[in-house]
Amino acid sequence: MKKQFVWLLAALMTVMLVGCANDKVPAQQAIAGAEAALASVRDAAQKYAPDTLQTVDAQLAQIKDMFAKGDYKSVMANIGSLNSAISSLKDTATAKQAEAEQAMAKAKDAWSGVSNDVPKMVAAIQSRVDILSKSGHLPKGVTKDALNSAKSGLDSMKSAWNDAMSAASGGDYSTAMSKAQAVKDQGAQIMQSLGMASG
Amino acid sequence: MADDKTPPGDDNPYTQTYVVKAGDSLSKIAKQYYGDASLYDKIFQANRDVLKDPNKIQVGQKLRIP
Repeated sequence: MKKQFVWLLAALMTVMLVGCANDKVPAQQAIAGAEAALASVRDAAQKYAPDTLQTVDAQLAQIKDMFAKGDYKSVMANIGSLNSAISSLKDTATAKQAEAEQAMAKAKDAWSGVSNDVPKMVAAIQSRVDILSKSGHLPKGVTKDALNSAKSGLDSMKSAWNDAMSAASGGDYSTAMSKAQAVKDQGAQIMQSLGMASG
Repeated sequence: MADDKTPPGDDNPYTQTYVVKAGDSLSKIAKQYYGDASLYDKIFQANRDVLKDPNKIQVGQKLRIP
């Protein structure tokens, strides 16, 4: 009787172990699948949806923790939600990447015009500043402060323009255009202060 | 990058322009834009493509004011 009981107990334990092993393998495979899916989108997600990536990473970490604790049923219960989150992250990152690339292409197109334009603006202002610096008296409406301000403004414009050109050389046309516009805005103000409006 | 001498005939869209009126002279225009009539030669040099003589300007001529 005792022998039979021991055999029965051993048989029961074997069934339980096999059962657990059967739960473990699918859970392990499910996690591996999710990790592979996340790896394929990680670079884009890091750049275009870092906050969402962080949330998904936390979700994955929780599920791996469940697996480490042997709670394979919970892994399987939650893996669907993780996979949905990864799929959604992929969609978001892809959409934002496409938006950023479109904006960059637009900026690149605009750059070719601006890269001719800004040097001309600087040259015109430089010319006027140089001439006014030789003048015995400044023209009506132009003060000494305005002229001094224009000189330092011109230096600042040249420096910012160099930054814009560096950004463009590096392929970052969005930054280049933003800096170029700032240069043009400053130039327009200087031209106004020197009485350079066309007339 | 900047060149303070605008070559004659080189059209910079940011260079100011002025249309000559009756009674104008380069000195008078220089006085208006530079505060100093003696700087008239700057205007002459910037308009060598349309001006042969700094003392001869015509009403209606469009001049660059560097």
